[in-house]
Order: sequence, then C-alpha cells, then structure tokens
Amino acid sequence: MSDRVIRLAHLFPELLNLYADQGNIAVLKHRAMMREIDLQVTPVKLGTKLMLESYDFLLLGGGSDREQAIVGKELAPYRAELQQAIEENMPILAICGGYQLLGQYYELTSGERIPGMHLVDMVTKPGKGRLIGNIAIEWMEQNGVSKEQSIVGFENHGGRTYHDYQPLGKVLSGHGNNGQDHLEGLQYKALLGTYIHGPLLPKNPHVADALLLHALTYRGLYDELNPLDDQLEWEAHESVLTDLRVTSMANHIKTRV
Amino acid sequence: MNGIKRVRSLIALWVGRGVLRTLQLSGRRGTSLPGFIANRISVDLLFDLLAQLETSVVVTGTNGKTTTSALLYSMVSSQSTPWITNKDGANLAQGLLAALLPHATLFGKMRLRKAVLEVDEATLPRMTERFHPTMIIVTNVFRDQLDRYGEVDHALAMLRRGISYPGIQLITNADDPLAASLGINREFTLFYGMDECPTDLEMRNEVRDGAFCLLCGSELQYTRVIYGQFGFYTCPTGDFSRPRPDYAGFLQADSVALTVLSRTHGKDVEQFSVQATVLGLYNYYNLLAAVAAARTLGISPALIASALIAYEAPLGRMQVYRGQTERILALIKNPTGANSILRAIESDMRTKRICFAINDADADGRDVSWLWDIDVESFLLHSACDQYFCAGHRALDMALRLAYAGVPRDQIHILHSLEEVVFATQSEDTPVYVLSTYTALYPLGTYLREVSS
Repeated sequence: MSDRVIRLAHLFPELLNLYADQGNIAVLKHRAMMREIDLQVTPVKLGTKLMLESYDFLLLGGGSDREQAIVGKELAPYRAELQQAIEENMPILAICGGYQLLGQYYELTSGERIPGMHLVDMVTKPGKGRLIGNIAIEWMEQNGVSKEQSIVGFENHGGRTYHDYQPLGKVLSGHGNNGQDHLEGLQYKALLGTYIHGPLLPKNPHVADALLLHALTYRGLYDELNPLDDQLEWEAHESVLTDLRVTSMANHIKTRV
Repeated sequence: MNGIKRVRSLIALWVGRGVLRTLQLSGRRGTSLPGFIANRISVDLLFDLLAQLETSVVVTGTNGKTTTSALLYSMVSSQSTPWITNKDGANLAQGLLAALLPHATLFGKMRLRKAVLEVDEATLPRMTERFHPTMIIVTNVFRDQLDRYGEVDHALAMLRRGISYPGIQLITNADDPLAASLGINREFTLFYGMDECPTDLEMRNEVRDGAFCLLCGSELQYTRVIYGQFGFYTCPTGDFSRPRPDYAGFLQADSVALTVLSRTHGKDVEQFSVQATVLGLYNYYNLLAAVAAARTLGISPALIASALIAYEAPLGRMQVYRGQTERILALIKNPTGANSILRAIESDMRTKRICFAINDADADGRDVSWLWDIDVESFLLHSACDQYFCAGHRALDMALRLAYAGVPRDQIHILHSLEEVVFATQSEDTPVYVLSTYTALYPLGTYLREVSS
C-alpha cells in the first residue's frame, strides 16, 4: 500500500446504522483500494471525543428520531469546529436521519422539535404519510463543474425538508426533500446530504468517486482517479432508471464519468 | 353466544367451505382466500372452531416458525391421531381459519381436535385474547428487514401480551436473550438451548439485536457467541443470565445426530439422540424446539426419531432437489436469516455454487438495503464456492453486493429469468444452493421439482 491515506470517521455506527451504511463504506474502501489509496475507517462511538483534525471525511448515517436526538446532543459541542471544517471543504456524507440532523430542527408530528446541529440553514417538518420508494434524480451542477448525471436509490422518510441551498438534484421520479418542489438533497462545498438511504454509493460510482476526490483534496493529495471497470454498477443504475421509466428523460444525461 | 352471531358464523363457514371447494376443483392451494372471506363475514368463526380443540400448540417467533411447526407436526401426527396444521405458513387469522375449515362439519363441529399452528407475532395477542392454546413455542426474536426502529421492542411487547394468560405452557429459547426474557419468572415455562454445539471463535460482523439487558439496559456479556444474539450471556449487574435449559441439545461438528438431555428441577432425567434430516445450525434449534414440545406432550423418543426419518422440509427451508445437479432451496428475507443459511452452507465442505434470486415485490420488501447487511465477507473466508449466479428483479443489486465483498467479477453471472436458474447452474458434480426471496420461491420450487423428477 502506498502512503496515500484517507481517514474516514463513521459517526456513531451503534446508533445511526438503520440502513446498511456498511454498503457505502465497502464501496468507498474498495474504490480507494483500486487506486492504491488506503481508506481507513474509524467508528466514533458515543462518549468518545471526536478529534476532527484526525479525519478527512465524515459519514453520518440514518437513524430513528430517538437516535437522532441523542446524536444531536452529542455533536452540539463540536458545532463551531464542524462548521469551519465544512467551510474548508471537508467532505461529509449525511444520509436520511443524518441529513435531517444537519439543519436547525426536525419537527415531529407531535409538535416536538428535535434540535439539529445548525450546520446549514434547513428545517424538517412532518407531513402526511411517509415518502417511500425508488428514486432517480438528475445530479445538478456544482462548483462550476457540470455533473449532468443521474443518481438512483431508495428513499424512506417521514420528514419534509426545506432549504435554499443547491440541491443534490432534480427529482426525475420519486419524492425527494419534501415531495413538493421536486428537489432532492443538499450540496454545499463538499458536504452532501440526501434521503437516498443506505447503499447510495454501490449504484452511483460517480458519487463515490466525487467524495473520494473531495477527501483527497481536503488532505492535500489532489490527484485524478483512474477509471475502473464499472459495467455492473452502471447496469444496476440503468436498471433502476428503466424501472422508473425515466430512461427517456434521463437519456440526455450521460451516465459515464 | 347469541343467535345472530351463531348464524353469521355458520354462514361464514359455508361460504368459506364453498370457496375452498371451488379453489380445490380448479387445482389451487387455497391457503388463505377461503379463510380471508370467511373471516370477513364473521370474526367469531375462527374462535368457534378453535374453542373445540383439545390440544393446540402455537409456534411463533421471528425465524423458524414454519420449520418448527412442520417438524413438530411430523412428530405428533399419525394415521391414528391426525392433527391439523397450517403447513404452508399462512400464519395470520385468515390462514389459521383456512387450515381449520376443511376439518369442520356443515354444522361447525370440528372432526379433528388437535392442532399445531404457526402464528404471526402480531396475530398472537389477538388470538390468545379469546383462545388460550395448550402450549406456545417462541423460537427467537430478531428484527426483520424494513422500518427496524422499535420493531424488536414492539415484537417483544406483543409476544409478552400473547403469552400472558395463566395455564399456557411456554417453551422458549434459552440461548436467545430476547426470547428467554419472556420466560423469566413465569410459571409453566420450559427452556431449550444448545449446551454444546460447534461454534467458531471469532466474532462475526453480524447485526446483533439482543445485546442489551432488557431489565437494566447494560450490555450483556457473552462467554460464548453462537450466532446472531444467541449464546451464553449474562448481565453484568446479575439480574439476567441464560437460563439452564430443561431440554439441552448437544451437537458435535460433522454429526447429523442431535442428542437431547432433559432435566426436571435441574436434575438430568433422560437422554436420547435423534437423527437430524435438516441442514444448518439454526435448523437444529428448530429441531430442538420441536423435540422439546413433542416430549412435553408425551410423545416417546422412539416415535420422535421415527417421525424424523420420514420428515420432508417445507418449501424453501433447505429442501434438497436431487437430480443430475443437486440443488438446495432456501428462503432468505432478512440479514440474520440469510447469515444463518450462509453459515449452514459453509458446513458443506464440497465445492459449490450459489444462486441468489432477489425480488423486491411488496411481499419481499421493496427496499433491498438489507442485502448490504448480509455478512458475505465472512462467508468468503470460510467457504469454497466457485460460481455465483444472481437472478430476480434485483439480481444486479445482489451482484454488486458480491462484487464489493470481493468476489471476482468473472465469477458473478447475471440471469435474466428465474427459469434460467435451472439451466445456467446445471453441473454434474457441483451442488447448487439457491437462496430466494419470497415471491421467487414458488416458481423456483416448481422449476426445480420438474428437473429433479
């Protein structure tokens, strides 16, 4: 193994592991390894100090309302530090419950508000019924680089999220942030939040590689990632598009990196 | 019961029987529909029929209900004393009713008075509210695939309510802290567990659900982990530990016999061995549960042993299809179940092939995230499998799961239809394990039966 190392902190896996986060980690690890990069994963458990300077990449998974509240409290003392890291382009992948936690609060149907981390100006409110199913979005342009590609996956959330940041993408099929404005997720610098839960990365290798690039850059090791044989990944990706009958809509979207 | 209810119940019976007859004439199985319709007409009918049972055993829990019921049914039922059972695993109220209907006369009298019934955890409390079975077996408590939050707590609460009536004999799993917690300080409880079984020393990367003491919340300490949350556990504060089994199983590696030691008031009473015609450690637990129940019902060890020789596994519970290629069909629906089956396959030392048939219809669960919770990595370290096949609507998701676990891509083959499973996996000397989600199971069973006959 070379000296190229990325240090990933998997935040509170004992609480936020609702949907197979290890799928995302397996993909990042494997794709890094294929480029002779050593992705080291550290599970950061409740009660241990988060040494932010020891990491190049944070992963915040999905969890229940109860678990989100615990994590919110646990991370509150690190708010300023996290904010600064985000401004300095530290990559953070936040999924489902972890995504909701980035905002100001998550309001429950009971009216109770679970405080968020205030890292982005965003709120999550209750709605009627859950938004569940396969989803496809068009990855929107970011940082001046055209990302005319699709992202596919599965969403399952009760909360409706509202914000004015650059969304991760336009919904081609599915619900997205709130089921109303046809926008899904959020991207700000190298922070990426989304309701596409669990194994987001296996069928979206371009997203995985973008995150790896962000992490390399953050660590000062910017390099190009050589392409991999992603035939299987793209077939699985296309298969969701076909199922959702958005192939024609997505036709203009080139899905190869 | 008042007259109107009685009439409604009789009408429900006649309509249900009519629907059943029609289905049978058109060659269908009728596992649920007659019960569904009859139950819509009268909710009392089910209880009218249940109330006539002299002996009734209910099998519930997350995994292993169908196999445990089938094993127990094979031990207790004979030509001279036939029992009723819902053998196809239709385990909601309608399925129970459909199983009872064929044995009722036109006037609603039951011709058979003994039953082994598999009952869904959520249906159990609704059933025992009005009808108290002779015995309830709780196999285990795991979390299922989707919406996991609170699911285990919820399942436990329903089970606890379901068994809360005095006089019901409870038989439950000592090795599973969640299932065992139901029997702590409860009268009429018998525990079964493996006092000895082959386990590996390493801790596997499995989802463990019951690792916390339900009384004080402390993390349980294990001196031995068997699989999932099963093992020899104790709470550090001393308020909860693995109960000493009343029916203790002894299982040697590479042995197909299970030795059972029964204890009364902590004293060893008798010991006997049964040949097991099941595969996999988790199935030995089902076998031990069935043996404990049969023995408690007074069935002799000799009868239990002879029943097992004639036992045939229900669809998708590791039954073997012999033919030019030997194929073994297993249902997978959640990570723990899938991990148990992979562990069972590991114990088959032959080089083998594995085929995953993964669908995402409602009955399978629309979300296939759980595939990433299957511990494929451990399996790769322990098993000799040279080719992987992926079929079903989510074949590609499974293929990616395998690829990222480290299976070389040239060993992964995508099949475009379920029929292809039969031809693509054809081999003279390599057995094939077919692991299937629910909606692919019946068509696969049909194809495999055709080529093996």
